[in-house]
Amino acid sequence: MKWMTDRRRFMQLGGAALAGAMARPQFAWAVEGSTLRLRVGGDFQVLDPFGIIGELDDIIPRCTQVTLVRLGDAREGSELSLWGAEKMEWTSPTTLAFTLREGLNWTGDYGPVTAEDVKFSFERIAGSESAWAYQFDYLDHVEVIDERNGIIHLNAAYPPFDLIALPYYAGHIQCKAAVEAVGGSYTTEIPAQCGPYLFDNWEQNRKVTLKANPDWTGPKPDFDTIEFYIVADDQTALLAYEADAYDFTSLAPNSLRQVKSSMPSGATLIEAPSTRYTWLTINMNAEPLKDPRVRQAIQLAYDGEAVLQGAFDGAVPRATGVVAPGPYSRPSNIYAKRDVERARALLAEAGAENLRLSLISQSDSTSLTIAQIIQATLGEAGISVDIQPTESAAYWAAGDKTQGDGYKSIELVLMNFAGGLEPTENLVWFMPDQIGVYNWSFFDNSEFADLYAKASLEPDTEKRKAMFHRMEDLMEESGGFIFIAFEPYIAIHDENLRPSILADGHPDPVMFRKI
Amino acid sequence: MSCVDESPARAPGLIRKLARDPVGLAGLILVLGFLSMAVFAPYLAPYDPIKIDVLNKFQPPSPAHPAGTDQLGRDTLSRIIFGARTALTIALVSTGLAGVFGLLLGMIAGFGPRLLDNFLVLVFDAFSSLPMIMFALAVITVLGPGTNTLIFVILIVSIPGYARLIRAQTLSLKNSDFIMAERTMGASHIRIILWHVLPNVVGPLVIVLSMDIPVVIMLEAGLSYLNLGVRPPTPSWGNILYDGYTSLRFAPTMVIVAGIPLVLSTIGFTFLGERLRDALDPKIQIRGLR
Repeated sequence: MKWMTDRRRFMQLGGAALAGAMARPQFAWAVEGSTLRLRVGGDFQVLDPFGIIGELDDIIPRCTQVTLVRLGDAREGSELSLWGAEKMEWTSPTTLAFTLREGLNWTGDYGPVTAEDVKFSFERIAGSESAWAYQFDYLDHVEVIDERNGIIHLNAAYPPFDLIALPYYAGHIQCKAAVEAVGGSYTTEIPAQCGPYLFDNWEQNRKVTLKANPDWTGPKPDFDTIEFYIVADDQTALLAYEADAYDFTSLAPNSLRQVKSSMPSGATLIEAPSTRYTWLTINMNAEPLKDPRVRQAIQLAYDGEAVLQGAFDGAVPRATGVVAPGPYSRPSNIYAKRDVERARALLAEAGAENLRLSLISQSDSTSLTIAQIIQATLGEAGISVDIQPTESAAYWAAGDKTQGDGYKSIELVLMNFAGGLEPTENLVWFMPDQIGVYNWSFFDNSEFADLYAKASLEPDTEKRKAMFHRMEDLMEESGGFIFIAFEPYIAIHDENLRPSILADGHPDPVMFRKI
Repeated sequence: MSCVDESPARAPGLIRKLARDPVGLAGLILVLGFLSMAVFAPYLAPYDPIKIDVLNKFQPPSPAHPAGTDQLGRDTLSRIIFGARTALTIALVSTGLAGVFGLLLGMIAGFGPRLLDNFLVLVFDAFSSLPMIMFALAVITVLGPGTNTLIFVILIVSIPGYARLIRAQTLSLKNSDFIMAERTMGASHIRIILWHVLPNVVGPLVIVLSMDIPVVIMLEAGLSYLNLGVRPPTPSWGNILYDGYTSLRFAPTMVIVAGIPLVLSTIGFTFLGERLRDALDPKIQIRGLR
C-alpha cells in the first residue's frame, strides 16, 4: 500500500490521534469518584502552627493533624464539638481537663498521640514570638496526668479559651518526638501526622494532594482524596470552576452580581456574612500624617457609601469597627458622615493643603476598586493619593519591622484580615506590641491595652460590650483607622456537595459531605 | 561630502511612496489617527477619564456612553482615548530615548578604540541576555509599578539591541572611502561621527524603532493588565482589558473595546514600519524586491 500524506489525511490522522489522547484518563479535567477538589487563593508557606501565615497553611494541618475540639460551619453557628479529645471539661474556671481519643496514632512509628504532645504543642507557642502566641496568653501550663489525660491550667479565668486557643492555628497538636527530631520546628514537611488525611503530594503553586489516612480511627470523612488547586485570581477561578476544574471555590466579594447574573448549571452559590474585615490603615508615624488634624481630615473625606456600592454592590453595611457584626459590635462610627468642607478646613488649619499620600494596596480587583474609590473621594478634599498596587509578598513586607525601617514611613494601607469569632481575636492585632507586626497604624494606646486585658477576662457580656465599644472608639479617635466593611463571603460549589465553611472564611475539607 | 545625499527616499518622496501603497497608507492613517487621538484626547473624550460614578457602573453602550462604563462608573470611551495618550507616550518616549542612547553608544563603540568597543559590547550582550518580561517583573517588584519604571525597563532592555545595530553600521562605514577622505583632510572624530556617520546609520534605526513601537505598546498593556504597568487611575488599554476581564460575564464590551485599539495600533505601526523599511532600505531596492 502506498502511503499518501496529503493535507486532508494529515488532518484526519491528527484529529484521531488527538481524540485518542484526550480519551486517556489523565487528560480528563475532573477526577471523579471520592476526590474533593477545592480551589485556594495561594500556596502554603509554613505548616508548623508556630509560623502559620495564610489560608492553606491552616487548612492542611486541619486535615493532617488533630485539634482537641473542632469548629462547625459558620452558617450554622460555629458550634464547638469534640475532635481529638473524647472528653473535655472545665473542672474549675482555670482548669480544663481533657482525655484524648483512643486510637490516634502518629505516622512514622512515633506511637500514639499523648497528653505530652498536647503540652509540647501549646507551651512552645505560649509566650513565644509566634503570631499565634495570643491564643495562649492565659495558659499557665499543661499538666500531664497519663498518656491520654491532661489538664490545661490557665493563670486566670478566661472563658473564651476553648474557642480561641483550641480549634485552629496554634491549636493543631504536634508530635513532640518528631518535631524535636527535626530541630524543634519545620516549614513545609510535617514530621509526623495523625489526622484523617496524610500529606501526599505538592506541586508548588499548582496543586496539593492529601490522601485519606488508612490508620485514622475517627469519624470517616466522605472523600478519599483532597486536591487543593492554587489559583490566585478570582476571575480565573470562576472560569476554571465552570470548566469543571474543581468542585468548590470562594469568589471575590465584588463578583456576586456577576455570578448571580448567570449561574453555572449544577452549581450552588453561598452568600453569607463573614468575619473578614477590611479597613484603611493610616500610619500615625509617617511624617505627613503625624498631625491628628490631617488624619481626621482623611476620615472625614472618606466616602463609605461609594466604597460599599462600588466594591460590594451595596451587599454589606459599613463596618463600625473590627468586631464582627453581632452582640458586641459598635452601633456607629464616630466619623460616620462625610464632610468634605470640614476636611478641607482641617487640612488648611494643619497647613497640609497639597497633601500627597501613597496608598499600598494588594493587586486583586476588589482591593484596587476600593483603593481607586478612596483615591477619588480623598481627591475631592484636595488629598492626592498615589496607589501602589503591590503583590502579596512585598505587601506583607511593607509593615513588617523585620524587613527594615520601611514600616515606619508607610502612609496609607488598605488591609483586610480573616477575623475570629471572639472579639478579642480581632482586636489583638492593634495592641502596642503588634506595631511593626500587624499594627501598621502605629496605634499605641495604653488604655486600649488595659481594656484588652480586662475584656479578655470579663465574664459579663454587657461590660465586655462597653469595653469593646470604647476600644473601637479609641482606634477611631486616634485617626489611624477607617473601618470599611466586613466582606461578604461568596463561594460556589457543586450542588451535590455540602461544604463546611469556618468563621474565618476558610473551608474545612474534612467536614465536606457528599449529598 | 556625505552618503546622505544618496538616500533612496527623501521625505516628500517617502510619503508619496507610502501613500501609493495600500498597506503603507493604512499604516500611515492608523498611526496618524492614534497620534491625533493622543494629542487631542482632552478635546475628543466626552468625559473625564478618571471621574468615578459608582451608581452608574457597568452601564451598557448607550448614546451617553458609547462604549459603556466600567466597574467604577467611568466612561470607557474616554478611558480608551486617554489610554492612547498613555500607550503612545510610553512607547514614543521610551523607544525615542532608547534610540538616542543606542545611537550614541553604538557609534562610540563602532568608532572608538578597540578596548572601549570590547567593553561596550560586553555590556550590551550582558543586558541583551536578560529576558524582557522577567526583567520587567523583577524591576517593577523592586521599584514599584508606574510610568517611569516602565520607561526605565524598556530603555534598559532596548538600548543594547539598538546600540549593536548602530555599532555594526558604524563599523561597516568606518573604513569607507569617504570617511578615509575626511580623515585625510584632518576632520575631527566628532565631526566625522556627527556629520558623516550619523546620517548614514540613522535610517535603519528609524525602521527598527517604528517596528518596535507596537512591541512596547503591547508590553505596557500586558504589564498594566497584570497591574504592574501604569498606576491607577491612569487609563491604559491594558488595565481596561483587565477590568473587562474581571467583569467578562455581564460587561463583555469592555474587553472588546479595549482590544480594538491594541489590535489597530499594532497593525498600524507594523504596516508603517514594514513599508518604511521597504522604502528606506537601499539594499531591498537594489535587489528589486520592492
